[in-house]
Amino acid sequence: MTERPLAFRTAGELTALMRAGTLAPAELLDCYLDRIRRHDATARAYITVTEEIARDAARHARARLDKDGDAPALTGLPYAVKDVIDASGVLTTGGSRVLSDNRARENARVVDLMTAGGAVLLGKTNLHEFAFGATGENPLTGTATNPYDPTRLAGGSSSGSAAAVGYGLAAAALGTDTGGSVRVPASLCGLVGLKPTLGRISSRGVIPFAWSLDHLGTLTRSVGDAALLLQALAGPDPDDPGSADAAVDDYPAALDQPIDGLRVGVPERFYFERADGEILAASEAVLRALEARGARLLTVAMPSMDHARTVSLTVQMPEALSYHSRYLGERGELYGADLRAGLALGQCLLAEHYLRAKRFMAFYRRQTNAVLREVDVLVTPATPIIAPKIGTAHVTIDGVREAVGNALTRYTSFFNMTGHPAITLPVGLHSEGLPIAVQIVGRAFDEAGILRAAGAVERDERFRVPPPDLVSSVDGAACRA
Amino acid sequence: MKPLRKSTLVRLCHEMAAHPWRDQELDELVHPKLGIITSLQHLLNELEVLRGTDLGDLPPATSLRPERSGE
Repeated sequence: MTERPLAFRTAGELTALMRAGTLAPAELLDCYLDRIRRHDATARAYITVTEEIARDAARHARARLDKDGDAPALTGLPYAVKDVIDASGVLTTGGSRVLSDNRARENARVVDLMTAGGAVLLGKTNLHEFAFGATGENPLTGTATNPYDPTRLAGGSSSGSAAAVGYGLAAAALGTDTGGSVRVPASLCGLVGLKPTLGRISSRGVIPFAWSLDHLGTLTRSVGDAALLLQALAGPDPDDPGSADAAVDDYPAALDQPIDGLRVGVPERFYFERADGEILAASEAVLRALEARGARLLTVAMPSMDHARTVSLTVQMPEALSYHSRYLGERGELYGADLRAGLALGQCLLAEHYLRAKRFMAFYRRQTNAVLREVDVLVTPATPIIAPKIGTAHVTIDGVREAVGNALTRYTSFFNMTGHPAITLPVGLHSEGLPIAVQIVGRAFDEAGILRAAGAVERDERFRVPPPDLVSSVDGAACRA
Repeated sequence: MKPLRKSTLVRLCHEMAAHPWRDQELDELVHPKLGIITSLQHLLNELEVLRGTDLGDLPPATSLRPERSGE
C-alpha cells in the first residue's frame, strides 16, 4: 500500500505523513486539485470544486499541525461530499436544475464534524438526480465514470463520490445510501463503502430521498479509513429527530481484533443466486479465508426477499414525493423524466400501502435481529454484477431479465429497511478488469463488529485489489511528494 | 382487481388533489420504458399479495434505538 502514488494512499497514511511533517496539507491539496484538472473531464466526479475553502482549510490545518502536537485525526485530509450535503456558502444542487441556485446557509452536521476533525473540503460530488437511482446517470451533470474503465458506470447514486476517490481526486468522500447508494458505487469502483446503522450519523443539513431509509455513509480506500471517518462522524445529534442516542465505540481499535470464534452467517438462498460466477467464487473464497482464520461458518435462513423491493419502493416514492412537493408546483418542469415518473408513482399509492410497507420493514427488522442473535455477522456478495457499460438499461442473469438498477441494489437494499450496519469491500478483480466486492452486515449499532471482520479480509493479501491503471504516469509535480 | 388503465390515473389525478402530472409520467407508470421504475400494475399486484400477510399487531417501523437492537 505504501508504494502507491500519493493520490492513492489511504487517509491513514496521508494524515500520518502530515503529522510527521513530511507532507504539508497544501502540497496534498495541490496534488488533488491538479488531478481534478487533469482527470475530472473523464471522471465527471465533481459538480463544484471548493478550491478557496480548501486552501483556507489547508492553511488552518498547517497551523494546527505546527502548533498542536495533538491535532485532530483528520487534520489536512482532503475529502468530498455528495451534492445533497450542505456546506455553508456553497451550492447544494442535488444534481438537479430544480436547485441550481440553492446556496446553503449552514454546514450539514457531517461537514461540521469533518471540519472539527481537521479535514479539508475539496468539493461537492456528482450524483443521480436527487439520489434517485443506482446507475448514477445524470443528463444534466454528466455521468460519473468508473476509474477501472471509463466506458462503464461508477454506480450510484453516490456516483461522483466513488469516482472522486476511485480516480484519486480526493482521499475520501461522504455519500448517502437509501438502497445501496454508498455500497454499490464503492463496490463497482474498488473502494470500501460503509453504511452505518440507521441514525448512527446525523442527516441534518442533507437533502433527503426517503427519511425511513436514508443513511449517511463513507467511501474510502481502506477499511481503516472507514473506521477513521466513522469515529469522526458517529454520535447523537439532538437537532436531528432521526439520530440515535447510542454509545460510540473505538472503531480503529476494532480492526485489529482477532476473529477466532466469530460466527459468520451465510444466507442459504437469494444472496448466492443469480449472480456472476466470478463474483460468487470470490465470495466463497472470502468465506473460506475467514474460516481458515478461526471464524465459524453457519448457514442461516434470512427473511423472504420475494417482496422486499416492492416494500422498499412503496416507502421510497411517497416519502420522496412528500419532500419534493415543495418544488413540484413552481419548478416541476425542471425535474428529469425518470424522477418525475417516480414521484408520480408516489402519488398513486394509497396510505394503506405505505403503512403496510412500513410494517413489513418492522417485520424484516425483527426477523433479521433474530438471525443476528445466532451469528455475529452476515457475509454476502455486494452486487450480483460488475460495473455495467454506461447506457445499459437491463441485464440478463441465468435467463432472468432485470432492470440494471434493480440488479445493482439486489443485495444491498434490504439492509436499508432493517437499518443494520453494512460494509462492502473489494476482494478481487474480475477477468474483465473490474472490481468485485463482498458485503458484511452486523447487529444494530455494532459497526465495530463489521469493521473487525472486514479488517481480517482486507489484511489477506489474496484479496488486495490494485488501484486503477491511470495513476502516476500522468501526475504532475504536485503529486510527487 | 381489474387491470390498471391510464384513464383511471388521469381521472384520479383530476378528481383528487394531485400534482399536475403530464401524460408521459402517467404513461411511464402504465407502460414503463425508462428502466427505472416497476409498472404500477406490477406494484399493485405485489401489494395485493402483501395484504394477505397477517402482521398481527406489529406497528410500522420507526427509528432504531440501541436498547431495542437485541429484540
